[in-house]
Amino acid sequence: MTVLRANGITLHTQRLDPVDPSRDGPARPTAVLIHGMASDTMASWYFTLAEPLARAGFPTLLYDLRGHGRSERPATGYALDDFVDDLEALLAGSGVTGPILLFGNSFGGTIAFGYAARRPERVAGVVAVESSPPTPEWMRRVAERLHRVAARLPQEGALAGIGARRGPIAARRAADTGRFLADTSITEELPASRLPSTEALAALRCPVLCLYGARSPMVDLADAVRDLLPQTRVAVLPDQRHSVLVDAPEAVRRHVFAWLTEQCGLGTTTTAAPTTGQPDDRPPHPTTVP
Amino acid sequence: MPAAQASTLAELTEMINAVLGDFAVDQVVTRDTTFQDDLGMESIDVVSLAGRLQARYGDTVNFAHFVAKLDLTTVGDLRVGQLVDHIDASLAAGPGDEVGAGSR
Repeated sequence: MTVLRANGITLHTQRLDPVDPSRDGPARPTAVLIHGMASDTMASWYFTLAEPLARAGFPTLLYDLRGHGRSERPATGYALDDFVDDLEALLAGSGVTGPILLFGNSFGGTIAFGYAARRPERVAGVVAVESSPPTPEWMRRVAERLHRVAARLPQEGALAGIGARRGPIAARRAADTGRFLADTSITEELPASRLPSTEALAALRCPVLCLYGARSPMVDLADAVRDLLPQTRVAVLPDQRHSVLVDAPEAVRRHVFAWLTEQCGLGTTTTAAPTTGQPDDRPPHPTTVP
Repeated sequence: MPAAQASTLAELTEMINAVLGDFAVDQVVTRDTTFQDDLGMESIDVVSLAGRLQARYGDTVNFAHFVAKLDLTTVGDLRVGQLVDHIDASLAAGPGDEVGAGSR
């Protein structure tokens, strides 16, 4: 396991080197993949986009957010600024000094926009899956979902129900999510986060790609994102829900690589997307918080 | 089982137990053991195992590429023997050769 000390805590990271570093032309930005809040881990990116990005020549960096996966879980420090501080420290500790492409799933996208508002000169582009920049309306929804899950998981039979529907591994993960919400200050701290100013967000000039599932409640955030950042390309994936990244990785890859070519000038000639499409008949992830 | 395979299996078993820690199941790991149903490994446990493989074998064993062919919905069906074969084939081919390509 690869761990790194950053911002006072231990973060679990993975780094994939570009498969073909000998390619001609300028060095590519480092792709940094940020997962979602509460029940997510870097695995969602590792098994979907990490390897295709490395194969297309991008140095690729993944990590588990504080409190998640195999990273340390401090009792406090769960405001948006803490997550952005972690990302800054992770980049410095990993020796990433050049431009970066930020990929965020759900709240991970919000962290990506938070970083971009702070260090716009370093960000070559933002891909946000089922996400939004840190706006008051979005943070209100995040708080609502956090509190709903935090209230539901400790109820009698909640974990057993998840186990019956989705198996023992899902139940174990839900139990861990419940402990995370109960044992840390996240449900108070995250909704109370200091947010970047609207001006700082609106000043972003880098290309932005926002992906949503057509059946996800997040899809109506797209208009507000476009108002704030008119350069945003929005793609809505038919029949998909909030878990679109893990449910429809091939469609996500297609949109990402088209956007990299057309909006970022980072085209690729390699066959970046493995052909592994699986029909999706699984239920949505009931404990997934933005 | 050839000696090389047996020793790879033993090393892999040690790494699996280290990854699972308190959750390690009390069973003999064989080539037919599945990561998800038999070992109860979550996707993040498999990622963690990838980190250990990289630390042990370096870039010779390209686990990311190997599992990229599986994707998140099927990685759970992965059997220990498939990974043992991938490791042995990669080590035999040496660095630079992409043994993972096409294996599924």
